[in-house]
Amino acid sequence: MMAQMLKNKVYGWLDQRFALGTMQELAGKKTVPVHRHSIWYYMGGIAVMFLIIQVLTGGLLMLYYVPEISAAHASIVTINSQVDFGWFVRSMHSWGANLMILALFVHLFTTYFLKAYRPPREITWLTGLGLLVVVFGFGFTGYLLPWDEVAFFATKVGLDIASQVPFVGETIATILRGGADVSQATLSRFFVIHVFLLPLALVALMGVHMLMVQLHGMSRPDSVKDQAVREEKFFPTFVLKDLMVWLLLFNLLAAFVSFYPWGLGPEADPFAAAPAGIKPEWYFLGMFQFLKVLPAYIGPFEGEHVGMALFALIGLAFVVIPFWERGQNPVRKMWAELFGSVILFLFIVFTVWGMLL
Amino acid sequence: MNYPIWDVPYLGVTGIIGLISCFHICIVNFAVGGGMYFAVTEQWAYKTNDEGVYDFLKRLSKFFLLLTTVAGAVSGIGIWWAVSLGNPNSIHTLIQTFTLGWAEEWVFFIAELATAFVYYYTWGKISKEQHLKLAWFYAVFSVLTLVIINGILSFMMTPGAWLTTKNWLLGFFNETYWPLLFMRLVVFAAAAGMYAFVVAARIQDEATKTKVLQYTTKWFIPLFIIGPLVGFWYFKNLPPDAVTNVMTGIQASGVGNFSILARTFYLSLIMTGTILVFAFVGPYLNPKGFSFHAAVLFLLCGLFVTSIGEFTREMLRKPYVIYGYMYSNGIVKDKVPELNKVGYLKSSKWVHDGMTPVEIGESMFKSQCLMCHTRHGYRSMERLLGERDEQSITAFLQMLQMTDKEKNPYVGIMPPLVGTPDEVAALATYLSALTGTAANPPVKQTAALPYKPVLVK
Repeated sequence: MMAQMLKNKVYGWLDQRFALGTMQELAGKKTVPVHRHSIWYYMGGIAVMFLIIQVLTGGLLMLYYVPEISAAHASIVTINSQVDFGWFVRSMHSWGANLMILALFVHLFTTYFLKAYRPPREITWLTGLGLLVVVFGFGFTGYLLPWDEVAFFATKVGLDIASQVPFVGETIATILRGGADVSQATLSRFFVIHVFLLPLALVALMGVHMLMVQLHGMSRPDSVKDQAVREEKFFPTFVLKDLMVWLLLFNLLAAFVSFYPWGLGPEADPFAAAPAGIKPEWYFLGMFQFLKVLPAYIGPFEGEHVGMALFALIGLAFVVIPFWERGQNPVRKMWAELFGSVILFLFIVFTVWGMLL
Repeated sequence: MNYPIWDVPYLGVTGIIGLISCFHICIVNFAVGGGMYFAVTEQWAYKTNDEGVYDFLKRLSKFFLLLTTVAGAVSGIGIWWAVSLGNPNSIHTLIQTFTLGWAEEWVFFIAELATAFVYYYTWGKISKEQHLKLAWFYAVFSVLTLVIINGILSFMMTPGAWLTTKNWLLGFFNETYWPLLFMRLVVFAAAAGMYAFVVAARIQDEATKTKVLQYTTKWFIPLFIIGPLVGFWYFKNLPPDAVTNVMTGIQASGVGNFSILARTFYLSLIMTGTILVFAFVGPYLNPKGFSFHAAVLFLLCGLFVTSIGEFTREMLRKPYVIYGYMYSNGIVKDKVPELNKVGYLKSSKWVHDGMTPVEIGESMFKSQCLMCHTRHGYRSMERLLGERDEQSITAFLQMLQMTDKEKNPYVGIMPPLVGTPDEVAALATYLSALTGTAANPPVKQTAALPYKPVLVK
């Protein structure tokens, strides 16, 4: 009786301030279709879960990390070997980043193949693409921060490749480097981008993305569009299932962290020769490998320039797809599917190829 | 030391024993915990006279019977086979010390198996009262098998007063007997709940499904709250060196410092916590949406926790197989000084006149290292020794002979290396040949052992 009274009182207080009743009513109206492709609806939530882990572990790492070239590596050594649970938090951050990017890739391609980019969800799709770019930025800038040998040279190579983008590449690379070489300026800039600029962009894009998802609900793929499918309540049914998936994947992350703690290479020496076989992280590996196998010149153009232009065109195609393939023309639908399949296939083939070399 | 040596390439003896044990413990959980779950749940069904719950129990008992009597029995024999071949010295000691205990274990095990069959095949053939009694009989017999085996398993970690008195009862009821018994009862009962979720998730009638899933969550969640408490009780009774080994991994996750112990321990804590939340948000709050696939994934997480928990418990004993008495390679601790003096291989049946230093070294390797390491696979010597040449391997092996922790950081992690300087030199020669760092290829020459080895006929 007493407990019930207290509960009512607390609820009443919160309801007055946060309009819980209205929110509950709204949440009760939202439904999620249940069909054979429903599993893909969980991908966005999974990425959010890993993002939350990134924010929490990243904040903890900042307590000990020193963004200065003579101390950065040593601070990671301290985190790994002297700070209680330091290795655990760092491994969570590194493994979590990789799993988050994987989840985003799966989310992107399943959204693409289920045609969830079509009107009225263009903005959801575009903000999603923007989020992927931001996350790539997190991966690229975060990779340099430990200032170990591989990170240093992979960043150097990565920025050299970025400078090959026609017209703007060199300017962007110079701004990111803070000069002609990877140095203290680069580390400082990458740190600021990693912990300040990208999080700002992420919050803005994610806010719009989530708002759009709430406004338009879950899209139904063509194959079940005309079928009568069961709808389940978003709250609490889908949210509870989402939580179960999160817990399972959190366990997977914890297993990776425990069995394969994230290592650290020797400190970077900018004057040393680059070690053989420098490779970027797996999510850039496909593009890296593709550029590697291109001939030095294709016609009058440098191979790398052509490669970068091709990447830009592919990116552009992903941007315009919701405006071109609107679900009304079966031929366009077929071309969109073919394009997506080819890109996915090439991405996998070049990534695996890069790993094997 | 004269039992035949089981040489398992790549996977290693430990790997084989570990794999079979992990599989077996997942089944045993259900065999013992299931007994308690069946008895309490059938009591509930009897009290409420709910045919839906009876149907569920009947289906669960079919799954239970198949799993425990086929997979459980086969893997149980597998453990005996692997351990007897892999570490015969420890099994020898355990059989000799607990002869009566083993006999009792087999009596209760046979009674447990027989009751399991009768329980399943008498559904609908005897009265509900009689069937309920059978459930309780099974529960008691299965718990009794745990009561016995727990004494022997906990003895290996904390042999207690047995070390000085050699009184088997004092070894049996050792310092960790009660905490480990309660810990296992809790873990096994929780595991039975996880198996029950899998069968309950397939119940067609929604009302019964909801009822059984919510009932099982209520069975399950309290156990996960009691679990950490009994776990802490167990931890408090462990030898201080074993606890230190776990704590080392809080700060570092490197190779060679046993941080794997800490890592698996934390992983088991994390997964235990997530399973608890999973049970609440899944089968309890959303029973209708709790699918068979979710239940299976949930069970796999639970079995994984059980396996790594057992792995951690087994590893805690290192460098011993019977703590404070016998090292993991079967060497009795008190005999080390004598063996260092007269030679480890002196009474070995596996060395003979005319062996090269490499062959003598290989005998040393097989007798003292092979229990935990392999040449090129699991805990591979090739990887662990890296680029060390014969000279630095010799220095490393000499360090492994020291018992002062300041001079040998592996004290408390690895057994001390036992043998005369010549035997150690022969082992270094063998290891450098193995890793390809030998300065000169091994030459066929008779080793200069300070004793006459026994000739194998």
